[in-house]
Formats: sequence, C-alpha cells, structure tokens
Amino acid sequence: MPRIDAHLHVFTKASAEFPRETSDVWPAEREESVEKLLVEMEKHQIDQAVLVQMAGASIEQHRYLLQCLKEHSNRFLGIGLVPEGHPNPTDHMVELTDNTGIIGFRFSDFGGPRDIFAKMDVREFAAYPIWKCAAERDYVLWLYPNAINAHLLPYLIQEFPQVRVVLNHLAVCPGKGKFSWDEFGRPQIQVTGYNLTMHTTYRLARYENVNVHLSGQYAFSREEFPYKDLAGWHRGLLTAFGAKRLMWATDFPWILEEPGYGKLTTVIEELLPDLSEAELADIMGGNAKRILRFPDL
Amino acid sequence: MILPTSEQKEQWEEEGYLVFENAIQGEDLKRLQNAFDYWADDCKADWLDSVEAGDTVATFYDIPNPLEKDPIFIDIIDYPSYYGALMEFTDHDLILLGPQVRTVAPWPVSYTGWHPDVSQSNPLHIKVQIYVNDVERGGGEFGFVPGSHKPDAGPYTRPMRQESMPGHKTFPGKAGTAIMFNSCGWHVSMDNHSDGPRKSIILIYEKRTPGRIGPEQYASISGYCQTPERRKLFSLDG
Repeated sequence: MPRIDAHLHVFTKASAEFPRETSDVWPAEREESVEKLLVEMEKHQIDQAVLVQMAGASIEQHRYLLQCLKEHSNRFLGIGLVPEGHPNPTDHMVELTDNTGIIGFRFSDFGGPRDIFAKMDVREFAAYPIWKCAAERDYVLWLYPNAINAHLLPYLIQEFPQVRVVLNHLAVCPGKGKFSWDEFGRPQIQVTGYNLTMHTTYRLARYENVNVHLSGQYAFSREEFPYKDLAGWHRGLLTAFGAKRLMWATDFPWILEEPGYGKLTTVIEELLPDLSEAELADIMGGNAKRILRFPDL
Repeated sequence: MILPTSEQKEQWEEEGYLVFENAIQGEDLKRLQNAFDYWADDCKADWLDSVEAGDTVATFYDIPNPLEKDPIFIDIIDYPSYYGALMEFTDHDLILLGPQVRTVAPWPVSYTGWHPDVSQSNPLHIKVQIYVNDVERGGGEFGFVPGSHKPDAGPYTRPMRQESMPGHKTFPGKAGTAIMFNSCGWHVSMDNHSDGPRKSIILIYEKRTPGRIGPEQYASISGYCQTPERRKLFSLDG
C-alpha cells in the first residue's frame, strides 16, 4: 500500500516564468520547491502526494504546479484554484485539467444565502457552475468552507452526489477574522473549545462521496506535537466517516520547521492509537490512492 | 403539583420517557410563543454574525440568557403539568442546569446524531423538550430509543441515518407538548425536511449534588424566585 501525503503546497521564486502572488510569508524570493519536498518524502518513505495550488488562481500562476505534475506524473496529483468571480469557471477548469494531472479544485465560498433559514435554490449559488462542471467531468472538489458557508454544503452534495468531495483540515470551517500566522510561519486558526463542526461538516458523513483529510493539526491545537488536545476530534471523525474515508496529510511546507515532516508522518498513530494496521494503512495512503485514483508506482 | 400516576412511573422506569400532551396551553402557550418569536427575531442578526466568526453553530440557534429576557421562560421551569413528575423522580431534590431556547432550521441533515448525554454514573439527568410550534413527522421531531436509559441496555452505535436506529420512536406533536426523558437514553433530533423551523425549548435538570450549580448562576433572576422551592430549584442558596 503506498503512503500518500494528501495535501501540501510547493512553490518557487516568483518570476516571469513562474508568476505568483507574494506576501510576507511567501515573499518573491522564497522557494519551497518540489525537490525539497521529494527529499523529505524519500527520507520518510512517502510515495506520492497531492500538490495543492496556492499564491494565485490564474492559469499563469498555476505554471509551477503544472511543471511539477508533468515532471513527476507518477508521484503527484494536483488541485487547482478557480479565480473568485470568474465569468466562465468551466473554461478555466477545463484548461487546467487537460491531461495535466490536476484532478480537482479547491475553494471556500459557495455563494449561497448566508442565512440557513433562507429559501435555498442551489442553482442560484455562485458555486453551482463549478459543481456542475465537476460532476460532468469527474473532478474532485477540495473544500475548506468558511464558517458562514458550511450550511450550504449538503444542498450541493445532494444535487451532485457523483462528485468526490474532500473536506480539508479536519473538516474545520474557519471563522472570519480567526486566521493569523505564528512565529514559525504557520497558519493559525482560532477555534472554539466546543467542536462546532460536529453540527455541520461531521453531519455530512451520511453522504458516501464526502471524505476528510486529517491535517493542519498545528493550526487548531493549543498544544505542541502530537496535538493530543485534538485526539477527540480525530476519534469523532473516525466514528462519523469510518477509516475508509479519511486521508492523512502534512500541509508541507508550513510544518517543516515545527514540528518537522518526519514527526507528522506519525501523527495519526499518535492521535488514533487504536487503529488496526489495515485502517492505518488506509488512512496513510490507501484511501487517497482509491478515492483520488493515484497511478500505480 | 401534579404527581405522576403509577402508569407514568412504570413507563418512566421501563422506557425512560413520558409525553405530556397539552402540557402548556391557552394564554400561557401564547405568551411562550410570543416571547420565543420576539427574542428569536431580536437575537438572529447577532447569531449570524457569530456563525460567520466561527464562534457558534450554524445549524441551530439558542436565544442567549432567556431567563433574563421574559418571565415566561422562568415560569416553564416549574410548570405544574410536568414539575411534579420531575420532583418525584428526583426524590424532591431537583436543580435546573439550564434552558436551551432553540430554533432548528430546515436542513437536509439533522444537526446531531443519536447520542446519550450522560453516562450511568451521572446523577439522574432529565431533559424536558417543549414544542413551541406544531412539529410534524419529518419536521425535526424528537426521537428516543425506549429502554436505552437502562444500565444493561445496548450496546448502541450511531447509525448514518436517524431513521436507521433500531427500536427508536419518534415524537411529532402539537405546540405545548412536553417530552420528558432520561438523558442516559439514546435520543436525537430527527431530520427537519419541512419548510419551517422547529421551535422548541429544552430544559435540563439534574438530581442535586453539592456544588453542581453555584448561587451566582441564576442570581440575575432571583427577584422571580421568592419561594423556598424556587430558590432551591435555581440553586440560589448554594
């Protein structure tokens, strides 16, 4: 069974060849290359990975991701981005998936009513064309819903039951204004002590096409590795979704300095110590291979 | 105080629940409905902002501090139609843990799965769910597994779908219906596939244990709690 890191990011220096957005955390000269990733993967016996686009949603800003996928087509699959408010998202999605290794798209906003008590017409949601395109072309949707969007998800999932959905980062739905960066350059999401997602995204376990990746613990935990305060969240996800719909991931490169890539390859054993060998193997790669259709090595 | 009949006591012991139809009616029910609707509307914008900030749940909302908002929310805590049963089952040593004045949105999935609230080692823990509007089948009605409160019941596991729970019973009901249940029992809110919200109040009680609720908890409503019985129920004297 392969070991697959189901969510991480690579980027290179910003240039005319590889344009990308910049920020204080990923300035133009910063590079977290695929070669650096491959060193970590080799060192810790990780076979394959999902590369998730960041720092820009335009076609041009996907160039580095596309190059990585082309050069390592048996090791990586890609998740792209769709520019917010794109007039024709279908064209964008089709162009980026044309035999490139990009298998789906990540987004957070579904463009439906903010109020769960409002009348819901899923065809009026701004994200409807993206879901429709995903359904027609068998794309994966890689979702990290904003808190105010979580209630919209089941309407879309019901409308498009054939779309493979992967909820990011423990199925947490970050609140507005709750995002920051810590001293190690890692995203931090302030969450409540009571796990609100039990009443939203966990409830989506009923839909067989919904999966969750177990990653980003560092962003939600109030403890250092192995983030034991999140053991209950992991057990809750295991109970709700079962061991066949969970995928381990590291969120490289944010974790390189603290706690380090190697430690994160053991985080599932630490937080779910009662898993059988087969269940652990599924979560560490078997599920990603099956659900995302990774090629045989 | 209306004490439970022998049949009600037997049902409580064996099945872990009682239904009080028309527990609240007439003017009291109107007062309750008016206060509920007024405060639910008044609090909704803040609730939505709180959802957006990731500070509260998106799929239902509770009116904050309801006991301070309208005395009808206090009056239902020891309402005669079910208060006698509460007292009898707790050997007349009852405390209020808290009220949840809750609006549940229509949603394809219920906001919660089947669960017990407490383990057998907990002091007797009782909830009373009062429907504020009519709750039809498929409208987020209460569900319970009769007998699941007993120490030797089960084991139970949570099914993916509410309706797949073996042995369960659901409780559609008219506004003013009160359902009392032992919180060791497995229960749930069924899916609300209706066009409207489910409005209900969940009152949470427990058999008294020392220090469980401090006198400061309900100090703000002490003016409404002049009798010794109410002061005891609201733990106002420590």
